[in-house]
Amino acid sequence: MDGREGFRIAVRSVRAHKLRSALTIVGIVIGIASVITFATFGASVQAEIIGDIGDSNAGNIYVFGTPSDDEGFDRVLQPVFTDADLAAIGEIDGVTAVLPRGSIQVTSIRAANQTLARSQVTATTPESITAGSIVAGRSFTSGEPEVVVNERLATGFSENLTAGSTLTLTYPDGQERPVTVTGVVNGTRGELPVSNFARQPRLYAPIDPFYEAVVESPSAGVRQRAYPQVTVVSDPRRTAETRESIEAYLAGDADARQLSASDTELVARSGSDFVDEISDVIERITRFVTGIGVISLVVGAIGIANVMLVSVTERTREIGIMKAVGARNRDVMSIFVIEAALLGTLGSLLGVPLGLLVGRGAAAYADVTFALAPDWIALAVVVGVVVGIVAGLYPAWRAARIDPIDALRHE
Amino acid sequence: MSETAATEQPAASTADDPTVVVEEVSKHYTVGSRVTALDSVSLTLDPGSYTAIMGPSGSGKSTLLNLIGGLDTPSTGDVTVDGKPVSTASEDERAAIRGTDIGFVFQTFNLMPRLTAVENVALPLVFDGWSRSERTERAVDRLQAVGLGDRTDHVPSELSGGQRQRVAIARALAPDPALILADEPTGNVDTDTGATVLDLFDDLHDAGNTILLVTHEPHVAERANRIIHVEDGEIRAIEATGEA
Repeated sequence: MDGREGFRIAVRSVRAHKLRSALTIVGIVIGIASVITFATFGASVQAEIIGDIGDSNAGNIYVFGTPSDDEGFDRVLQPVFTDADLAAIGEIDGVTAVLPRGSIQVTSIRAANQTLARSQVTATTPESITAGSIVAGRSFTSGEPEVVVNERLATGFSENLTAGSTLTLTYPDGQERPVTVTGVVNGTRGELPVSNFARQPRLYAPIDPFYEAVVESPSAGVRQRAYPQVTVVSDPRRTAETRESIEAYLAGDADARQLSASDTELVARSGSDFVDEISDVIERITRFVTGIGVISLVVGAIGIANVMLVSVTERTREIGIMKAVGARNRDVMSIFVIEAALLGTLGSLLGVPLGLLVGRGAAAYADVTFALAPDWIALAVVVGVVVGIVAGLYPAWRAARIDPIDALRHE
Repeated sequence: MSETAATEQPAASTADDPTVVVEEVSKHYTVGSRVTALDSVSLTLDPGSYTAIMGPSGSGKSTLLNLIGGLDTPSTGDVTVDGKPVSTASEDERAAIRGTDIGFVFQTFNLMPRLTAVENVALPLVFDGWSRSERTERAVDRLQAVGLGDRTDHVPSELSGGQRQRVAIARALAPDPALILADEPTGNVDTDTGATVLDLFDDLHDAGNTILLVTHEPHVAERANRIIHVEDGEIRAIEATGEA
């Protein structure tokens, strides 16, 4: 008997028991759907958090200090990278730009009569503002009281900010400083590849004249500006080796090393390192939750096995007839295995769209962009078919072993 | 295996060799105590012969039929059908012999309920690996031969008892078997229909088929050339009828 014939017999049998077949595959449908739901929702969250690093940030290396016990990011903010360090890093092979980043403490930002509290102000260099990220206007100029704002901040006031708007920054000591908005951006070059940062209202200002943190540089022997974080732009094809060179410098006689507490680790991470780390955490969560979905697959498999056993008993006489007219044990076995595989396949084919639908709904509910997880979908279909086959094996084996004489007497 | 292989069969057994040889066959069951269903039975069926086995229920006649048909294996002794040792064959080999060398006709028809007449007739050929078109052609031909050329697409529930039995006979004929085994073929139909079924067996016999029929009804057995009386697992008498 060839496989097509077995398939034909299986299709006929499934169609002859439509309701029973439908109820049987419900378990598989729910199992596959929940796996797909959790997997796509996980993928959506992951895509949302990581954001699109994009080609423009592909060669970025983020340099910062972090406590070696990895207790958090609170102490990352120590300004330890001096201008002398920046210059030295700039000399490293493969480095195309060094973009220092510091934060400026302000208590509020005022536009006309409206005041916004708790906005982040980042001091950086004009090179951080690339042409591609400018939505309107231009970058700020070093030495001028100019700032650029991100879209979130631009739309945060009752009247949208545009190039030419004026703002007033209030410092913790009560001092006020008027500034001019020169442009609106949707991100900066030195941004960490975590797009969530871009969703907060942000203001970028030139280091000169806004950033004032200075330290005594051990190597230069003079007081210099120092920054808590530096983004190094490197040749994307040589990012890995550039990163190593930077780490080697940091481990040596860098000012940052001497200015940092002994338990602070100075690290250089590429964008992909960050992505990998975040992906890893989300993937672990996704896998765990998806594993719960697998339980319903197991329940589905038991359902198929149960129905197949009933079906074998019910069709004992037919099995006897087939054997009497020349069916070998393996012919009988394959007929039932194919039938079980067919149920599993139907279950996954219905479960995948259902899972995608629910996953989409969950993504919409959680306000994240829906992302597909193609490998999970493929896996779910394969698992559905395999579950069907495995569930059908024992009943099929029972069917194959039926004695034809007894079967023909069976009522 | 296909038609060609079946017609080449005489290489193993020439036309004069018996179609069935049963040698000293015994069959014991253990149901609580040991029961002997057949006790050292021997018989031969010549090609083209028409033989009836008669006996009361429990005499062992069905057991004998199952052993010759390769549905069961003897406790001792040998069964050869068309030159093939059925009793020592593996399970798969016996399945193949059942499918190609033997045609079964049962009292209860034993048709597949969801298959049409033509699909039922073609069923043995499915397991013998025939292509769909070859099978259908052969099955339609056999249905026409039993007078059911206009019922090919009916399922068993749409057919009368006599028609069902004729579908079953067409199925038995589908692989051009060396032997047709019939177990009470008229047991489930009324007398008139039974008569037409038996006429059909006469026609098959006239066409050169070898037939072994089991019955407990004398008027059915009388259609055969030879009647073998079985009782208590033994052959009591072999009677030649006038119709040789």
